[in-house]
Amino acid sequence: MQLTLSHFVALLPLLVVGATAIAVMLGIAWRRCHQLSFIISTVGLNLALLSIIPALNAAPTAVTPLLQVDNFSLFYTALILVSTLACLTLTHAYMGKTEQAGFPGNREELYLLMLLSATGGIVLVSTQHLAGLFIGLELMSVPLYGMVGYAFFNRHSLEAAIKYMVLSATGSAFLLFGMALLYGETGSLVFSVIGQNAVTDLTRMGIGLMLVGLAFKLSLVPFHLWTPDVYQGAPAPVGAFLATASKVGVFAVLVRLLELSPATAEGWLNTLLTLIAIASILVGNLLALLQNNLKRLLSYSSIAHFGYLLVALIASNGMGMEAISVYLTAYVLTSLGAFGVVTLVSTPFKERDADALYDYRGLFWRRPYLTAVLTVMMLSLAGIPLTAGFIGKFYILATGVDAKLWWLMGAMVLGSAIGVFYYLRVMITLFLREPGMHHHDAPTGWGQQAGGIMLMLVAALTLILGLYPQPLLDLVQHTGLAGL
Amino acid sequence: MEFAFYFSAGIAVLATLRVVTHTNPVHALLYFIISLLAVAMCFFSLGAPFAGILEIIVYAGAIMVLFVFVVMMLNLGSSTMAQERQWLKPGIWFGPAALSLVLLIELLYVLFSSDVTATITGESVDAKAVGVHLFGPYLLAVELASMLLLAALVAAFHLGRPEAKELS
Repeated sequence: MQLTLSHFVALLPLLVVGATAIAVMLGIAWRRCHQLSFIISTVGLNLALLSIIPALNAAPTAVTPLLQVDNFSLFYTALILVSTLACLTLTHAYMGKTEQAGFPGNREELYLLMLLSATGGIVLVSTQHLAGLFIGLELMSVPLYGMVGYAFFNRHSLEAAIKYMVLSATGSAFLLFGMALLYGETGSLVFSVIGQNAVTDLTRMGIGLMLVGLAFKLSLVPFHLWTPDVYQGAPAPVGAFLATASKVGVFAVLVRLLELSPATAEGWLNTLLTLIAIASILVGNLLALLQNNLKRLLSYSSIAHFGYLLVALIASNGMGMEAISVYLTAYVLTSLGAFGVVTLVSTPFKERDADALYDYRGLFWRRPYLTAVLTVMMLSLAGIPLTAGFIGKFYILATGVDAKLWWLMGAMVLGSAIGVFYYLRVMITLFLREPGMHHHDAPTGWGQQAGGIMLMLVAALTLILGLYPQPLLDLVQHTGLAGL
Repeated sequence: MEFAFYFSAGIAVLATLRVVTHTNPVHALLYFIISLLAVAMCFFSLGAPFAGILEIIVYAGAIMVLFVFVVMMLNLGSSTMAQERQWLKPGIWFGPAALSLVLLIELLYVLFSSDVTATITGESVDAKAVGVHLFGPYLLAVELASMLLLAALVAAFHLGRPEAKELS
């Protein structure tokens, strides 16, 4: 195995993010400085984003049996890097300026953990090997345990961390068992070789067990029970990371596994995925209906959104892959925006995040622009035209109709209809005039801070992609998997 | 070879069963060590002495001894045993155990329904072969594992800080 320069170029985004994590760690060891850690991480992530351009020229290339750098992986790498960057700026705002008015205790480690988690996500989106899948998944999840419980002196945060850790470890155990069965049967860990000769019962069992592990991380029904508690307990910027970067990584590797492995081409898997998708769409939307907590509402809505995404995966015709890319992009933007508003309203760190719906009552009369951002995000999550969410949903519906998946289409239409109700409920709350309720508020001048500017950009992008989606659609047409 | 494998595998299963059912934590951990040693024996009989030795040194030796120390320091006395015994009522363990049994039967059925032709051979994989693989095709896995350890270390450091007590 020779590693040449072109391999290193293809691997550049991963290397840069890894180096940034090391730089932040050394910076903390040298002198604790919140500002410095933030600047190093931001610069590093921007450099990593830039390094995708040379990596595109080197793609597609296989770097050791573990990783396959192609347009698909680079697109999702970019998506993970952008969402990590957004979460970093939110974290910076959330931590506050001083220990007294903000997060008490060490703040710098959160950047380090987030960078390490992003490294794991990049490994996940480019892996074509079960060993890479497992290491990537663990590298993404282990820092998340620390991030979810970052405010460990808060009971909810600690509880969320323990729940997430135990359930995530259970999911990993299922995943490992499945991998062991697959390896025992086929003697190979490479995605495209699994099930190449003959698909036996053992292979099916292995794939099924792996699906359980991955569904845990994607919080698909019936493996979704941890989601609302963890989203609620985690600090708001960590919730944003959990909802965007981590889910993108796991979904990308699921797509690659299902598309590359011959063992997954059989009908039973599609039936199983269809059942999971319908259950996720209906359960996610129904449970979100009566939520009075914005973070929990967003968690249930993310369950439903991954149900929609499964529809495109099940269809898996030519348009399916494009639909997944478009929908994930729209979902990431929208989730970042929604969690961003929650973060800024909870800024600086207090004992409790502003996550109850009544904290937002009459927000419009106090912070009109922030309310506008949240309104756009809710419209986009509901899939109302002129927002990015509509384009994504339209794409998936078109894919489903094309593949004649009528049951799924029915569930999706029903789910969207229910969804509109609770998204609109949040919007009404924003505009209710309620004197004397000033528990939580974004700091004045939030728009001039890094987090606020990022939020404005996300909102603008959601609208622009809704009005003029052509650049995104052109882009995703080139994000196919290599070797298909 | 075959006898050694099935013998140690059987011991591993029995010992693990006792880990779950034992009410005294220290005794349960001692059974767990036996289970790990038995798994190490399985590795030996399959011709992977390096993996077997690692299993003994890392799991049975380092991790479990640490575990036993911690549990002993917590000084869990007879009250915990009584509590555990109370929790281990048939009503509680019967459901999960029955479901697991169904899964076990299914797994065994699948394992034996496909015609098993492979036999346990004595081909041994030594440390050199493992090293060549680790620093050959799996080089990136080794590097990423180091990042994983760093992440675990930083998370543990943060969560275990003394302020955890003061602020709560």
